[in-house]
Amino acid sequence: MKLRKLFRTLHRDLGYFIVGMTVVYGLSGILLNHRYDFNPDYQIYITEFEANLPGKVNSTGQEIKNMLEWLDSDVVYKKHYINNQGMLKVFIENGEVLINPETGKGTMHYLQRRPVFFEMNKLHRATLGTLWKWTSDGMAVILIFVAITGLVLLKGKRGFGHWGWWWTIAGIVIPLIFTLLYI
Amino acid sequence: MKKLIFISLLALLLFGCGNNKKQVQEATSNEPTAQAVALTVDKLYENATDMVDKEIVVTGTVMHVCQEGGERCFLMGSNEDINIRVEAGEKIGAFSQELMGSNLEITGILKEVKTEAEAHNPGQHSSAGVGKTSPETENAHTVIAEAQEAAPVVYFIEGIKAKEL
Repeated sequence: MKLRKLFRTLHRDLGYFIVGMTVVYGLSGILLNHRYDFNPDYQIYITEFEANLPGKVNSTGQEIKNMLEWLDSDVVYKKHYINNQGMLKVFIENGEVLINPETGKGTMHYLQRRPVFFEMNKLHRATLGTLWKWTSDGMAVILIFVAITGLVLLKGKRGFGHWGWWWTIAGIVIPLIFTLLYI
Repeated sequence: MKKLIFISLLALLLFGCGNNKKQVQEATSNEPTAQAVALTVDKLYENATDMVDKEIVVTGTVMHVCQEGGERCFLMGSNEDINIRVEAGEKIGAFSQELMGSNLEITGILKEVKTEAEAHNPGQHSSAGVGKTSPETENAHTVIAEAQEAAPVVYFIEGIKAKEL
């Protein structure tokens, strides 16, 4: 049948084409599934310290910069303010520091992008603007096409009619059960 | 097949160029003929009732970025109790966590929260699962939620453009 031959060709070639985005969606999907277990975009480094702030509550920007330099020379000061709890909140490049000005005890949260995964997550969430929105729509259509054409590729006892439909039904039933139980 | 790929790529490029032009034109056409005055968050709230549904330019320090994809951020004014939500929308895309503490100039439409769909309780992020938010994030959520509860009217901005100052 010519249609089957066409589907086989398209499935093969579009399948090669869509491998990259399938891996992106799959890997970033795993990370985003676990977004309540860990931050999928950033590795967060937490440092606890005890510093001596001469100015305490009225510490100047320079005094805070000096303290940050002592803490980590790579840390870059942005700005600071006293929050509602009376804690000194310092914004730094890629993070923030919270200090009790009276005791000098504080915590620094430093963010580092997860290389590759940060970009993958951005692609998955489609937060790169309008052009990517439509491009990723196209990619999704291709992925659906590859999936559906995969059903009709094989003839015979391992084809969809005899063998494949069991697996296909199972693949639909599992998410369906979760849908019915939890939605 | 190769022809199909070539034509698709060509279409993508043409569409992309056309789209970029359209975005630049939109940005240009959205720019007022006279340069809009950038308001602080405090000034914005003083005149908010007159500015609802109008395009505004506001500057402020980013005090919180939504950790679930950066779809919104909160700009603070003279203190953290005076803050306003900015939705990134399609044009801005997302705010990165690295913007925390940075001064941003946001161009957008000021909106009043009228429906539940428009409201946003940042504390709801972690209530759905085994949330592991840091104490600082939880504190930011508390401050924002308290500010919203105390306000007679809650406003937010639908972002069009963001510029780091």
